[in-house]
Amino acid sequence: MQLADFWKEFKQVKFGIIGLIFLVIFILITIFEHFLIPFPEASTRWRDITYWEDNPRNAPPVWINWFTEKDYTPTTYMNNLEFEEKTISPTMSVSTAILEYDYNYDVPPIDLIYRGRFKGSFTLNIVLERPDGNTINLVNKNFSSPTWKDFRIAISNEAKNSVQSFAKRFQNISSQTIKVNSIIFSEANKEIITNPVPLKGTYKFNINIIKTSADTVIEEPRLIFSGAVSGILGTDNAKRDIWSGLIAGTKWALFIGLLTSAISISVGVIYGVVSAYYGGLVDSIMQRIWEIFMNIPLLPVLIVLSAIFKPSIWSLITMMCLFFWVGPVKTVRSMALQIKEETYVEAAKALGASNGRIIFKHMVPILIPYAFASMALNVPSAILYEATVSLLGLGDATIVTWGQILHDAMNGGAVTNGLWWWVVPPGISIALIGMTFAFIGFAMDTILNPKLRTR
Amino acid sequence: MGIFIYVIIIFIYSFLFNTVMEETLNGQIIEQVNGEMIKISQVGTDPDYLLEYRERRIRELRDIYHLDDPLLSRVFWRAIDTLTFNYGRSTIMRSFKGETDVIKIVLERIPNTLILFTTSIILDILIGVWLGIKKAQKAGKFMDKSTSIITMTVYGLPSWWFGMVMIMLFAFMMPIFPSGGISSVPPPETFFAKIADLFYHMALPVITLVFIGFWGRAYLTRNIVLGNLQEDFIMSARARGIPERSVLYGHALRTSAPPILTMSLLSLLASFSGALVFEGIFSWPGMGNLYWAAVQQNDIPVLLGNLSITTLIYISGIVLLDLIYGFLDPRIKVGGKA
Repeated sequence: MQLADFWKEFKQVKFGIIGLIFLVIFILITIFEHFLIPFPEASTRWRDITYWEDNPRNAPPVWINWFTEKDYTPTTYMNNLEFEEKTISPTMSVSTAILEYDYNYDVPPIDLIYRGRFKGSFTLNIVLERPDGNTINLVNKNFSSPTWKDFRIAISNEAKNSVQSFAKRFQNISSQTIKVNSIIFSEANKEIITNPVPLKGTYKFNINIIKTSADTVIEEPRLIFSGAVSGILGTDNAKRDIWSGLIAGTKWALFIGLLTSAISISVGVIYGVVSAYYGGLVDSIMQRIWEIFMNIPLLPVLIVLSAIFKPSIWSLITMMCLFFWVGPVKTVRSMALQIKEETYVEAAKALGASNGRIIFKHMVPILIPYAFASMALNVPSAILYEATVSLLGLGDATIVTWGQILHDAMNGGAVTNGLWWWVVPPGISIALIGMTFAFIGFAMDTILNPKLRTR
Repeated sequence: MGIFIYVIIIFIYSFLFNTVMEETLNGQIIEQVNGEMIKISQVGTDPDYLLEYRERRIRELRDIYHLDDPLLSRVFWRAIDTLTFNYGRSTIMRSFKGETDVIKIVLERIPNTLILFTTSIILDILIGVWLGIKKAQKAGKFMDKSTSIITMTVYGLPSWWFGMVMIMLFAFMMPIFPSGGISSVPPPETFFAKIADLFYHMALPVITLVFIGFWGRAYLTRNIVLGNLQEDFIMSARARGIPERSVLYGHALRTSAPPILTMSLLSLLASFSGALVFEGIFSWPGMGNLYWAAVQQNDIPVLLGNLSITTLIYISGIVLLDLIYGFLDPRIKVGGKA
């Protein structure tokens, strides 16, 4: 079939079009990855714990709030704090910012983090004014450094003592472990420690930075509420935002799938045509070699090879190509055997065309539609194999793929603890990409195989 | 022909494994000699003799294992050993009874894998073929189209991921089924309770496998049957007044059986190797699980033994398939170019 006719036919098969639409969506995701995710460096810094340290651990996605009775505090970033400066003495000055936070949730945030970069020396003082009028002095800490340094304080650690004494005013029991944030955001009654009731309203955080030396500079101060729920798809046990990881993995899935299929199917098609064209002894030998490769069970050998050689994405692609090429050979060979008998091939030979010219100019182009269908149907397999190898921990550790996320999920106890937001989305992504290429591939299949037409 | 191919493959494996094997064997030999030495030294002997004994023994053992021979010769001997099912002893792993003979370790796992996958394939075929015939009957209508869409959706679904989700749902969130393994702890006493326990543990993996599998089977059946329904002999059967049911099940199915059977058995064989991860997820003590454990513990003899048996099953399955195909469809001569 000619290419133009093929496209016309393809347009009429509805699910093929749907497949194409999905493919375009995936490609767009890959291109615009940077803008779609809250943590743009997810791809390169997946294993860097400092990148993720402000997130809560194992937190569900924010939208569960629509489905649950209790409202959970989401993770929020307060980056733009307006500071007012007041000079007290020639060397000291105070910068104050008042942050108003509307708390309408039932489950308090896991932590409050205040961080930034500084040079010099200063004292950080944070006082909280609750809606019921009580104030708690949360933080009083000195920082000093002659060179640029990061500072980071977490309320759940720093404010333990002051919050504990605050709570004791209302409920006098001594308890070893108190949840700092739960007390901060709960009503001040006799059960503030044992049975906290959420106190909703506007909380005012007075952040006072007392600069104790003249040349102190503070940059990028920001307050982060590490919520009880976080992100579009929650976080895993290494505090990584799963949505970011998922989007970052898209490009690798597409890359591995498309590259492996393209290379292996091309090799397979050419192999089949050459084998059919030359016939005789060459054909026999080539078919024997093919049989040997055919009979090797792919996954076990792939695993062993991955365990022996360095697991990197290139070695994985190479190994998969080494075995995927066997797929189309038999069919291509029988098709090529038929083409060989066509009169225009005979004519080309009579005109003195070289073997290479006949193979590549006359025979292969006819097989291109079949090759594309084959490629489309092979992409999910390639992605699946990579995911399986990654699941076993033999994948490339420098990149994020969906298989790796699932590997971490399995080892991080996602299945046993019911952390569905960690387990379900990567698998659904693999299935969606598989579905996309299956739609495209089967649509092509329906066109090329006239017996299957039902119109 | 199949045997020839098998031999070649084993040689390839042997070549692959050989370097790693050598180090393992080295370690094993030294351990063994050290063990012997300790026994001797307890009796009380002269240290010079001990050293000399050590040297001698190491040389002897290396000779038996052909470790000092050039690479090609080693590859050859390893391959011969594997071909004659002489897999040697494992380094770390033990069978359920505590034996270290690789062949015993592998053999006792085969029935477990067989039970699981054969049951699933049978159910898969039953449901899939029935559904496929229905689809071929009503080709192009809503039922056909909708089930085809579902087939394509499930095409890229990793079976092990689905297993994970099923475990999460039905073993932890709603504890109906066990989360893995083949029998409860402690194992039940009576024979019937044992069988029931086995089914109880098999339920979740089988449901997972069948659910993913039968869509593809239905689609394949539908295609093959549809292709056959357009043949002339079907038209003539209908013209002769044979009832539709008989036409479908008697004539069309008979012709469609060979390719469907081939594909099904091929999937069964392929599932043997793909079983790897799936068995791991369900902690099912079968061949795939053994493979995974061997990779993690770097137990090369077990790995090689498992791999060669898997390949053997795979190849013999294909050879068997060729024969069955020739039997079912008299137009195809065995070994001929179809």
